[in-house]
Amino acid sequence: MNMNHALIQFFVAVVFGTMIFSHLTKKNFGASMAYGVQSLAVAALLFGSFLETQNKLILIVVICALIVKVVMAPLFFSRLIRKHALMFSASTYLNTPLTLIAIAILTFIAHSQKFAAVTGIVPANQALLSLALAAMFLSLFLIVNRKGALSHIIGILSLENSIVVFTIFAGLEQSPALQLGILFNIFIWLMIAQVFISMLYKHFGSLNITSMQSLKG
Amino acid sequence: MELVLIFSSLLIAVLVCLFVKRRIVVECASLLAVAIALVESILVALRVAAHGEYSPHVFFSVDALGALVMLIISIVGCATVGYSIAYLRKETAQNVIGQRRVRQYFILLNLFLMAMFLAITANHPIFAWIAIEATTLATAFLISFYNKPSAMEAAWKYLVINSVGLLLGFFGTLLYFTAMHSLDGNEFVSWQMLLQNAAFLDPLIAKIAFIFVLIGYGTKVGLAPMHTWLPDAHSKAPAPISALLSGVLLNVALVVVLRFKLITDAVVEPSFSQILLIVLGLLSIFIVALIMLTQNNYKRLLAYSSIENMGIMSLGFGFGGLGVVGAIMHMMYHALIKSTLFLSAGTIFLRYHSTKIAKIRGMLTALPVSGALFFIGFLAITGTPPFGIFFSKVLIVTGGMHVHPMMSALALVLMAILFIGFFKQVSAMAFGDVPTEVEVGEKNIWLILPPLALLVLFVVLSFYLPPFLSTLIRSAASHY
Repeated sequence: MNMNHALIQFFVAVVFGTMIFSHLTKKNFGASMAYGVQSLAVAALLFGSFLETQNKLILIVVICALIVKVVMAPLFFSRLIRKHALMFSASTYLNTPLTLIAIAILTFIAHSQKFAAVTGIVPANQALLSLALAAMFLSLFLIVNRKGALSHIIGILSLENSIVVFTIFAGLEQSPALQLGILFNIFIWLMIAQVFISMLYKHFGSLNITSMQSLKG
Repeated sequence: MELVLIFSSLLIAVLVCLFVKRRIVVECASLLAVAIALVESILVALRVAAHGEYSPHVFFSVDALGALVMLIISIVGCATVGYSIAYLRKETAQNVIGQRRVRQYFILLNLFLMAMFLAITANHPIFAWIAIEATTLATAFLISFYNKPSAMEAAWKYLVINSVGLLLGFFGTLLYFTAMHSLDGNEFVSWQMLLQNAAFLDPLIAKIAFIFVLIGYGTKVGLAPMHTWLPDAHSKAPAPISALLSGVLLNVALVVVLRFKLITDAVVEPSFSQILLIVLGLLSIFIVALIMLTQNNYKRLLAYSSIENMGIMSLGFGFGGLGVVGAIMHMMYHALIKSTLFLSAGTIFLRYHSTKIAKIRGMLTALPVSGALFFIGFLAITGTPPFGIFFSKVLIVTGGMHVHPMMSALALVLMAILFIGFFKQVSAMAFGDVPTEVEVGEKNIWLILPPLALLVLFVVLSFYLPPFLSTLIRSAASHY
């Protein structure tokens, strides 16, 4: 990559850091902004790929990623938060200290020998791949640990971001056309999720999934 | 040319549904599109049976199993679209839905069919992933179609669990690309290229990748323990959509898992993937056996039966040899009969206005044909002789007896428990006095014909397999 190594490390750290922030923040707005910042870091890493390859199609991917993930997604979330007065996110299953312990354990597992084969795909990038894998685990944990539907959406989108970061450093980047296809999928997914969030709120008066009990009985 | 016609006809149907308001035009366009898809699928199947794998374009490729699944998509799709027309007309007459919803329904249904065709014909694993994800997006609104809290909850569960599952599947898919390190990143990587380059794949990465793929796509297949979304989604969707979800979509996802199994088996000993498939298959059957007796909703009963049958197929592919032949035949038979069951369940719902088993009494009297279709469907799906599913189950268990006798015996015992559970529920529905508020007699021939056609086809194929189908099954079994 033509990008400065320290800068690359900084962007990966931002992706990981925003995941931890999403776990700790009690406000939905904070989590949605964290996703925006995370996506910006991912777009910056993709821009690094463009600098390396000079492939103009990758630049289009970067622009589309910026539009969909950095601008539209946080905007959608903000609108939902304002519309339904969802300032505070629904509670978590684990309290903050336990959440921090779980984060530490997941990060440790991602860096352990168990996943050495996966994180060692490109030995020079092992530390970065481990961090990307840890971000993936933390995204999954966010979905499992949070009771709010909005957090679930952010968790799923963060999982996708983490996978993108992993592919960049593992040398598994797909062709720009396929990346655009994936981005289009994310865009449609985002639209559908937004509609669903509004409909869920209309039906249940809350986005706390524990209040959804209509399938029982 | 065949694939172009399939995709373009479905796309045109989507556009017609989008821009034309007349209901009859929307219905005819959808029916015509799926009829074209059926004809073209038969042509593709004949071509593959005669000449082997068909690759009309670098992006698309159809092997024997793909051709079989294409046939399943188009046959069940045809019956579903035909049934949907009558079903939605009845629901509109009962003021359950409005005219606008009908158009939305057919747009999403055609998109759903198109996404399934794309997933099965895509020659690139990531392209297939995009198409499978598209099936999730197209069906989410179909599951929440009735806009009731329970349907919304089911659809949300479906969207979240499947999206997470598919992202894990995506990660597993990407790990397989480590075999292609020597290639330029922009080169098109087909399934065949991945298989040819499997030797460059690190065995440990191959194992981890397959686990991710199995968990990810296995979620879509409905294998336990990732099945939790399935009974809710399949029971809350409109009956014709449930038929497609249960009868077709699960198979499409399973085929993707099998394609990765092929690549994994080329790197590590096949017993690795086989054991995983056997364990998940048995677990699926076991969980359903526990739940079946206590079910109080007949659509959920059918949904759980789908989990069981996907488990049986997984078992067959895990056993290998004869089990694979049985699993492929089971895939075909299950698709036809499960769709018959869901479509006749739709007619039962229209008559009784309930999906609770306790409220369905005298089904064979109230609905002599649809009730009989449901009852015969139950006999067939539980593996009662002389139907095809009996033979496919025998093949799977026989295949397993040679390699894993204990597992096969356990599967057999669980299938017997399932039969008892299913029989208890369906017999309660079939017989007894019809509730006074329920009309007696069939009212709409168009609600009978599609499931009847599927049942007739199922019975015919139980006793006679056309040569081209036998060739496809043999060819697919030799690969997987």
